[in-house]
Amino acid sequence: MNAIFWEISKRNIRLHMLRSSLAMLGIVIGVVAIVSMGILGNGMVMLVSDSLSSVGDSVIVMPYAGGGGMGMGGGGRTADLMLTEQNFQQIKRVVAPNLAVPVHSTSERMNVGVNSDDIIATVYGLPPDDVPDMLQLEAGSYNNQDSGCLVGTTFAKDHNVKVGSRISIGSDGQYGTLRVTGIIEERGMSFDISTDSAVVVTDKWFENTYDVNGQYDEVVVKVTNGDTATVKTTIEKQLNRNIKEKTVTVIDSKATLETIYETFGTITTFVSAIGGISMIVAGVSIFNIMMMSVNERVKEIGIMRSIGTRKRGVMTMFIYEAGIIGVCGSIAGGVLAVLAGYGISALMLQTTEYLVTVSNAITIFQGVAFGIVVCLACGIYPAWKAANLNPIDAIRHE
Amino acid sequence: MEPVIRFADVSKVYPLRAGDVTALSHVSFEVERGEFIAIMGPSGSGKSTLLNLMGCLDTPTSGDIFISGIRIQDMTDDELTDLRRDRIGFIFQYFNLFPLLNIIENVNFPQMMKAGEVVDETKAVEVLKSVHLEESLHTHTPLELSGGQQQRVAIARALINDPDILLCDEPTGNLDTKTGASIMNLMTELNKRGSTIIIVTHDPTIAAYTQRTIRIVDGRIA
Ligand SMILES: Nc1ncnc2c1ncn2[C@@H]1O[C@H](COP(=O)(O)OP(=O)(O)OP(=O)(O)O)[C@@H](O)[C@H]1O
Ligand SMILES: [Mg+2]
Repeated sequence: MNAIFWEISKRNIRLHMLRSSLAMLGIVIGVVAIVSMGILGNGMVMLVSDSLSSVGDSVIVMPYAGGGGMGMGGGGRTADLMLTEQNFQQIKRVVAPNLAVPVHSTSERMNVGVNSDDIIATVYGLPPDDVPDMLQLEAGSYNNQDSGCLVGTTFAKDHNVKVGSRISIGSDGQYGTLRVTGIIEERGMSFDISTDSAVVVTDKWFENTYDVNGQYDEVVVKVTNGDTATVKTTIEKQLNRNIKEKTVTVIDSKATLETIYETFGTITTFVSAIGGISMIVAGVSIFNIMMMSVNERVKEIGIMRSIGTRKRGVMTMFIYEAGIIGVCGSIAGGVLAVLAGYGISALMLQTTEYLVTVSNAITIFQGVAFGIVVCLACGIYPAWKAANLNPIDAIRHE
Repeated sequence: MEPVIRFADVSKVYPLRAGDVTALSHVSFEVERGEFIAIMGPSGSGKSTLLNLMGCLDTPTSGDIFISGIRIQDMTDDELTDLRRDRIGFIFQYFNLFPLLNIIENVNFPQMMKAGEVVDETKAVEVLKSVHLEESLHTHTPLELSGGQQQRVAIARALINDPDILLCDEPTGNLDTKTGASIMNLMTELNKRGSTIIIVTHDPTIAAYTQRTIRIVDGRIA
């Protein structure tokens, strides 16, 4: 449209610099609120997805514990809630050719070296043949001796354990001493087994020590083709035939991860929406100053109309005004939001490594665009009102 | 030849809550090209109403108005706006220049509306010269000018699109006698060069510059 309207809008904003800046400040705050909340949310999602391990797709089968859902991870052993050897064989048969790994787990006291403090850690008992399929080592070698064990990387760091170190299991080493043959790579929190702070022993050693032959805490199925949902239903169909008395609870790690991400996505949206409230406040102030601008310039508008400016021209002039405030405020807000996002991430997530990401770029773009849209939307009614003033009324009031 | 303005039995009624106000009733007259006319009458008699109708700022309640042969009723708002822009020049008592624009931009404004873009200043400079405004003032803003100078700028703005008619509502009402006289001399000069001019005024000495006077009393031509 006509460049002269652009000129007039610019000059009018400059003439009323203070109030234009205040309106801009509102938009700046709105954009900063929305975008920095978005950045925080994105950071949260990244942090969670980084710490939840993605060690391939797996399905976890646990004994059915009645109505409620199951907690994730190994957890303690309850005598009457165990999977039987028969359960395991059934699972193994229906999921073939996928690998089914029976898992023993318990919490146990232990000591590293002489006179050291007691440590309490999870002990997993796994068939040695299956371990290489589930766990990667960062040092040492896999263990297939009942006198050996593997330890998680956090465990190794925290207790200064190296390949070759010895760990006494049980209070006062009542269950004997195991030699560490390898350190397991960091694996993060996982739905199947969380090994970072744990000790992994052979199933034989575990069964002999705790007398739990043929009783498993869970069975982990490694799904090779990624179709975890089908494996889950197959197992449920086979083992939970009796609807009233279910045998197992089956967790689809992939679906659960997706649910977790969705939940965080929802939280991010919700938090951003709270930021949106400040945008509404900013919109109201834009609306206000636009109405002021229209009321002050009733006469000028009347003259413009009487000497040949169409309604649309008047409208354009005011939309430009709202647009200039919106674009400047939103872009300034976007820039500040990056700084604010940096600050909040550093403060609340203790890290800023998730700042430069595509999702943050989208969040910033959306925030800035939203700010501009809000300004334009709030400028529409005042602009419309200005365009539809009766030029006679406007020039009559001297 | 078609008259520039033709009013045929025109009435204007303002419907108000306290009762209808008949500002004009059954007015008929014609203005020929090149005429210089004064409209006189007591306050509230309907002079401004008449001028606004001639200027297509308003439409009559009944009767027909023709501007350069075009009937203005039933025209859309945009069409009326373009008619004002291209065929009519307005001059107001309070000058009504745009304070945010400089003198050249003010004068160019109707031309920019017509072109739809910013235009160069050649024509504005030429027109400002014809209304005798010093060139040193061209880049000033209106509020830095005297009343007489502002009115000259307003006249230049009214002339920029070569209108058929100049409509002036009390153009000297806000000026001292001497400045008023110089503005009227300018008007006379413009009329001699071919402009059709209609001036609303209370002042008989202003009316004396014109060739014909239309008197209005209580919304009727007397
Ligand atoms: N927009 C309007 N709404 C309602 N009534 C109006 C309007 N414009 C004019 N009138 C009424 O119409 C009548 C004529 O008004 P108008 O302004 O034409 O008078 P005028 O001759 O120009 O007076 P003055 O010399 O004081 O300017 C007056 O009674 C006025 O109150
Ligand atoms: Mg009047």
